[in-house]
Amino acid sequence: MKFSVSKEKLLEGLQTVQNVVSTRTTLPILSNVLLHAADGQLRFTTSDLDVGIRSGIEAAIDKPGATTLPARRLLSIVRELPASEITVEVDSKNVASIRSGPSFFKILGLPEEEFPPLAKFENAKTFTLRQKDLRDALKKTSYAISTDETRYVLNGILFSFKDNKLTLVATDGRRLALVDIELELPRSNECDVIIPSKAIGEVQRLLTDEGDIKLSIGENQVAFEVGGTLLVSKLIEGNYPNYRQVIPGETKERITLERVIFHDAVHRVSLLASEKSNSVKLIFTKNNLEIAANTPDVGEARESLAIAYKGRDMAIAFNPEFLMAPLKNLAVDEVFLDLIDEMSPGVVRIQSPFLYVIMPMRIS
Amino acid sequence: MEENFALIWKHVTDVIRLEVSADTFQRWFKAIQLLAADESHITLRVPNNIYQLWIETNYMPLLQTAIEKVLGSPRKVRFTISDSPEKLELETDDAANPPAKAARSGGSAAKQSATNGQAAAGAANGMNPRNTFDSFVVGMNNQFAHAAALAVAQTPAKTYNPLFVYGGVGLGKTHLMHAIGQQVASTKAGSKVMYLSSEKFTNEFIDAIQNSKLVRFRNRYRQADVLLIDDIQFLAGKERSQEEFFHTFNTLFDGHKQIILSSDRPPSEIQNLEGRLVSRFEWGLTAELQPPDIETRMAILRKKAQLLQVKLDNSIFEFLAQRIKTNVRRLEGALMRVASFASLSGRELTPDNIEHLLKDILQEEARRTVTIEQIQRKVAEHYDVRLADMTSKRRPANIAFPRQVAMYLARELTKASLSEIGEAFGGRDHGTVLHGHRLVKERMQTDEKVRQTVAFLVNQLNR
Repeated sequence: MKFSVSKEKLLEGLQTVQNVVSTRTTLPILSNVLLHAADGQLRFTTSDLDVGIRSGIEAAIDKPGATTLPARRLLSIVRELPASEITVEVDSKNVASIRSGPSFFKILGLPEEEFPPLAKFENAKTFTLRQKDLRDALKKTSYAISTDETRYVLNGILFSFKDNKLTLVATDGRRLALVDIELELPRSNECDVIIPSKAIGEVQRLLTDEGDIKLSIGENQVAFEVGGTLLVSKLIEGNYPNYRQVIPGETKERITLERVIFHDAVHRVSLLASEKSNSVKLIFTKNNLEIAANTPDVGEARESLAIAYKGRDMAIAFNPEFLMAPLKNLAVDEVFLDLIDEMSPGVVRIQSPFLYVIMPMRIS
Repeated sequence: MEENFALIWKHVTDVIRLEVSADTFQRWFKAIQLLAADESHITLRVPNNIYQLWIETNYMPLLQTAIEKVLGSPRKVRFTISDSPEKLELETDDAANPPAKAARSGGSAAKQSATNGQAAAGAANGMNPRNTFDSFVVGMNNQFAHAAALAVAQTPAKTYNPLFVYGGVGLGKTHLMHAIGQQVASTKAGSKVMYLSSEKFTNEFIDAIQNSKLVRFRNRYRQADVLLIDDIQFLAGKERSQEEFFHTFNTLFDGHKQIILSSDRPPSEIQNLEGRLVSRFEWGLTAELQPPDIETRMAILRKKAQLLQVKLDNSIFEFLAQRIKTNVRRLEGALMRVASFASLSGRELTPDNIEHLLKDILQEEARRTVTIEQIQRKVAEHYDVRLADMTSKRRPANIAFPRQVAMYLARELTKASLSEIGEAFGGRDHGTVLHGHRLVKERMQTDEKVRQTVAFLVNQLNR
């Protein structure tokens, strides 16, 4: 195999696929990137057996072929090469010679046959979304994914295709984030799948604000095609919990808050929240919200916000990180905090279809 | 029986109803049924899996309190997801998930409170949550081992690998290992910390061979990030277990995973242990835990008394620290005895009372006290004379003086009578011993060097 390519393009291609390579690999070939040169295109593929990603760049191909080379090492070499034109030649023993200006590198690779192929999709359901919509939706939900590996079903986002919309749900048992995207859905395409958080992270990296993204859902795999890059991931097997149950049916008080001001106030006050009982207290009185936190033997913090509130006096405590997470990832100016009482979950809502259920903490 | 369960559940929900809002109760607790209850478990039927998740994460402490109130003692809570018609509409039934359910409900009890994460995880790991670095008293006897353990806990596999800790009975090996394991488990989330005794390793290995589950056994221990094995000396003489351990050790070591071992003696002194294991154990850092000196013993007693929240007179601490020298476990046990005696019987603590109370412990200790022979040996070594010179008739001062020092120490440190000491020093007269004792005493007052030497020897012998 022999090809020439510009340094910027090569770097770009390698960086797109770099993240999927995990640092702790069981098979040595998984720490390599598969390079495939044919028809004026150089394709890179990496995988960790759960998630795989393939991207391509234009290159001048002198001799087509394929091999695998150590991904991290290759990236660091290409990054440091002096000239802007790079020539790579790989012999039948998978030894790659990289030339650029006066520099010469030789690295040993592994044969391309050993590289695990990306999954094939038969009878896949396909959906097309606007990148902007998906990017926005993922931003609003991905922080709520559970990291507890014993509940593996929650280590991803539920994609529920139903009733002409795509609903994304993420929860870790203590808070739940939900977003709807309007979508044309034929009945036959309705399904529920759980996409693992690593794939979600990668998709978020690939998404821009322009253009479309195509999803293909197979037996137990999902594929995202965006801007010439293909991301394939295993789905999480299992049944996602019945999340609708979690959403409180009624609301006693709806408080309108200015998102940024509220977020910043909670953030400041949370500096004095103790590590043991990590909570901030929201105290609602007539037209006033006081946010308070304290750590015994250290100190306390309080901040007052003027709000429009005519309901009964109420105090409810939340984990500050959980409270700030949605506020950070929304873009609107105003949010609604729907409360019932101090022992019931609160719900953060906005004008568009989004909600965030958050469980209160005990006030001792 | 069913009505009985329904009644129990009604009482439980009555307690819960007081603590949660009406909406919450309606939403989460109304639909639950009590399926079974026995001495140790209680099984609840819930309509679908979100109930288990949400209740376990948010309402477990509340549920446990209510159960304890109604049934008198705590129970482990298990959930089964019903296939009953009420919930047919959207959700697929969970018949496909029984193994996952069983695993989760087994773990549900241990995962009750999110705040108690470390304690629960520690107990599940087989490590005592009370054994932490905070509760470990550091003294000259264990400073080195403690520092090594701390370094390993903070950066596993990057400092000393393997770490081999050895020491006699009751000196803190297991405490240190638990401390390391729990520190790593709590600071490095997601790292697999495995603690077990070598006996458990051997047993499980034998089990795995018998049930043809070797692959699973191997995977389990070779995937650990930190492997702690207690009492590795029990591998002695067990060839196949040693071989298996050898391979496990290699896999972990090559994968840059931390291995920590403890034993009652240094690697070279473990009999019937393969040479290649001995050399591997000595590869990293070997640290000894020695019996604590008197200051450390006092510190241990004080710390333990603080933990137990008992107040005792300083003289009692001194008494215990002076009389119990060899074994921290014995020391703490004696403290417990004294403390509970004081609180349960209400009687005053006098030296006689304590002596009587602890007589079996003190007898055990007495067996380990200094013998005349030990004194002779130590003194001879120190003054660079032969042991035979201690008992010989030779009179030159460079031999006679050490002999007299030995006689002085024998009088001070042992309970032997003058005649007995005289006998031990080559059939000398009791008067000779007395004279020697008096002479050394006077010399100690005038000559600083003599005083220092004697003090040093006393220290050495008393350790």
